[in-house]
Amino acid sequence: MRSTREIIRFEQLEKTYYLGAIDVPVLKGIDMSIAQGEFVGIMGASGSGKSTMLNILGLLDVPTGGRYFLDGKEVKNFSDNYLASLRNQKIGFIFQSFNLSPHLTVAQNIEMPMVYAEIPRKIRRARAIELAQQVKLGHRLSHRPTELSGGECQRIAIARALSNKPAYLLADEPTGNLDEKTSDEIIGLFQELHRAQKTTIVMVTHNPELEVIFDRVIRLRDGRVVDEEGEEITTNYADT
Amino acid sequence: MLIRDLYGLSLHNLLLHKVRSLLTSLGIIFGVGSVIAMLAISGGAKKEALAQIAAMGIDNIIVYTKTLKKAGGSEKARSTTLEYGLSHLDLENIRKMDNIGHMTTARDARVRVTKGIEALDVQMFWVTERFMKDLNCKIVRGRWLAPSDFLNATAVCVIGKDVQRKLFNLGEKEILGRKVLVPGGAFSIVGILENNAGTTIEGINSLNDSIYIPSTTGKQVFTEYTIETGPRMIKIHHVENDLLVIKVKDTSVIDHTAKRISSLLAKTHKEKDWGINVPLSLLKQKETTQNIFTIVMGSIAAISLIVGGIGIMNIMLANVYERRKEIGTRRAMGAKKRDILFQFLIETVFLTVMGGILGIGLGFGLAAAVTHFSGMPSDVSMWSIIGSITISGIVGVVFGTYPAWQAANQNPIQALKAE
Repeated sequence: MRSTREIIRFEQLEKTYYLGAIDVPVLKGIDMSIAQGEFVGIMGASGSGKSTMLNILGLLDVPTGGRYFLDGKEVKNFSDNYLASLRNQKIGFIFQSFNLSPHLTVAQNIEMPMVYAEIPRKIRRARAIELAQQVKLGHRLSHRPTELSGGECQRIAIARALSNKPAYLLADEPTGNLDEKTSDEIIGLFQELHRAQKTTIVMVTHNPELEVIFDRVIRLRDGRVVDEEGEEITTNYADT
Repeated sequence: MLIRDLYGLSLHNLLLHKVRSLLTSLGIIFGVGSVIAMLAISGGAKKEALAQIAAMGIDNIIVYTKTLKKAGGSEKARSTTLEYGLSHLDLENIRKMDNIGHMTTARDARVRVTKGIEALDVQMFWVTERFMKDLNCKIVRGRWLAPSDFLNATAVCVIGKDVQRKLFNLGEKEILGRKVLVPGGAFSIVGILENNAGTTIEGINSLNDSIYIPSTTGKQVFTEYTIETGPRMIKIHHVENDLLVIKVKDTSVIDHTAKRISSLLAKTHKEKDWGINVPLSLLKQKETTQNIFTIVMGSIAAISLIVGGIGIMNIMLANVYERRKEIGTRRAMGAKKRDILFQFLIETVFLTVMGGILGIGLGFGLAAAVTHFSGMPSDVSMWSIIGSITISGIVGVVFGTYPAWQAANQNPIQALKAE
């Protein structure tokens, strides 16, 4: 499924950690692209470079080689403020442990990225209400996360991730802390967002059961993208 | 991030942990409290001292007679005449000098004022007419000595307001017209005098503790000779004036004028049987002393605030460590380093400023308590309040910067992994 617009493209992306005298290459030339509206899973065993890739995708870390295009523009001049505003505008983070602020209300939690986008209070609140309704928690706005179940917390986190209308959602094991039934509900919510609103979703997981829900799976092994049989895939962008 | 949101967030975080916030700012609260109290007490003392000095008149030079301890003649002599103090000639000489305005004199009648057989701590002076005005006194009842009293040498007196209490019983309301009896005379009371500051001048216990009669009357009744008898000896004191209050025309050269008077008296008197005071100089001296005192207080205050600040820094550092996950999440959501920096910095400044405000309240309380229990006056100045809040804020910035910088520079990846 190749749609019209590319949201993410890695070209020969590399990440090497320099630990004193030893260089530890973690990502060894990754080529991949994710188009608008795709629901992509990134899978791999631990140590495959999954977390590093997630950090780079999420602009929490910077690559040491290759190029990263986000929403049509190359991400370079990696100043801290520049990365922060890109994270704010382009990426909706969803974490395994929700990372909601326990002292803020549901509405305030949803508003958090909009606070950093300097959106005025009234507009923020209206959007937070709208998003809470979208994740079916419109009646919980003034509750605190501690009063909610795990599944409800993750719904709030998803609403929060959507608040700045990001280019894509980046979910890191979003069902890792949930029981099976709740997991299904959350996955259902992702699928609904994907289907109904053409939201681009990148989900990092090691859970093989989830493979069926993705449009496409990017498999990592030892810092490289591999196919189902474990063979290395190289993409030549010059052809496309 | 909008400033308003930043303030809201910082305040919210502080209010979440009210007890912790309060405990954290205790150092500042007590620091500021003790500073305010100390400044209030020293300010009160200063105000009182200055008022007393000012009540002596800042355009006055006060010259007074010192009683000679040593007998003038031979120790074995059975009778001696001691002549000392400010003479009428001195007065005439001083009057001829530059920059001299009015002069007022007072002479201690050297009589014992008694109530029944009990000697009272009250002096009687014969004074010139300008005395009341030149020493900043006022009449609370009756009248001051009139020109006709001086002219006719009438036997009248004006008493200081504290004398009333000492001389008469409590219930006796109407004392004007009653008589003060002393060896040698009886004087009708015509007025009660008050000096607000309760000034004490060399040679006079307190202006409120004395009785005043016209100089002409005094001279007639008591004469300038006072006889002191002892075992097998008689001393005759001859003193013409005890106190001379000189008003100068130009206060800017008052010290110079005082110096010239001193050198004149030093030349004409064989012994140092006189003293001189310039209230304005005393005032300046007192102010200098007070300023030094304030600087010392300020240093102590600085130390206590530094200690308080270090305490806050410690707590904030622990706070940053505890909230790493929140910091990581905020960074992932798009918070810039400076957003995190300001969030923590403003939190610290809020803490210290609130501590400062509570400290001011505590200071007021302490000062009031000291005044209540010890009677020392206190005066909380506006300046010390503004200064305390400002300094609290500065302490917050100084000691909040490092923890805030630590928070801002947390690696977001590591911070997100924190539990």
